Amino acid sequence: MPQPIAPLNSRLEAIGVNRDPALSGRWLALISGRGGREQVLLLDLERHQPIDLPGLNRADAQPVSVSVDAAGERIALVRQLEGRTELVLYRRSAQSLQPIPMLPSGVARQVQLQADGRQLAVEVSRGGIWQVDLVQIP
Amino acid sequence: MPLRHFQNRQPHSSPSLSWNGRYVAALVQQGNQRLALIEDRVSGNLHRLPLPADNTAVRLSLSPEARQLAVQVTQAGQWRVQLFDLRSLLEPDLPGGTAVQGGGAQTSP
Repeated sequence: MPQPIAPLNSRLEAIGVNRDPALSGRWLALISGRGGREQVLLLDLERHQPIDLPGLNRADAQPVSVSVDAAGERIALVRQLEGRTELVLYRRSAQSLQPIPMLPSGVARQVQLQADGRQLAVEVSRGGIWQVDLVQIP
Repeated sequence: MPLRHFQNRQPHSSPSLSWNGRYVAALVQQGNQRLALIEDRVSGNLHRLPLPADNTAVRLSLSPEARQLAVQVTQAGQWRVQLFDLRSLLEPDLPGGTAVQGGGAQTSP
C-alpha cells in the first residue's frame, strides 16, 4: 500500500497552500500560496529543503502550471503576466528565463516537461479548442 | 489504447506515466468518488491510493521512476499536496528500460 511520507507532508503543510505538484527524480515542483500570493516552489525531496529559484518568481505574475525535469535543472512554467499568458523555461544553473512562443498563437494552460528535459507537452487553447503541443527544447 | 482497469471508471483526468510507460496513474470517477489509481501495464495489477474520506483528489503526479506519487487534494475547501512512497509497492521503472507497448496485461490482480 502507498505510504504517506509524513515528514515531507508536514513540511508541505508548513509552507502554505499548495497545488499543481510535479514530481521528477528527487525534485518536487509546485505552486505554493501564502498571504494571497502564489509562487513556484522547488523542493529537494532528499534534503527536505526548498531550493532558491532566483529570477523565476515575480510579484506581478500568477503561476498557472509548473513542471521540472529529473535533474532539477529545467523548470517549465505557464504564468499570467500583464494580462497575458506565457510559457517560459527556467534553467536553474544559469538562472535564466527563456520565453517559449506558442506557434500559432494560443493560450497555454497545463505544461509537462519530459523527465530528460528535452521536450515538453503543453495544453493550448486556440479559438476555443484545446490542443496539446509538443515542443522540442534545445 | 484501452487501459484494463480504467475503462469502467470514467471520466479520467490528470494522467501521469512512468519512464517507459509501465505505470499509468490517473484520477478516475467511481460513483460519486474521485479515486487515484495506478495501473501496472506489465503485471495487470491495479493499485488504489488510500485517501481520507474528506479528501478529494484534484491532480496527481507520478515520479518517472515510480518511486513517489504526489496528489493535490481539497480538504475543507483548501488545497493541499501530499506525497506517497511507492517503493514497497512498485518495482522502479528506470530510464533505459523497455518501453511497454499495447494496452497491458490482461491478468487479474
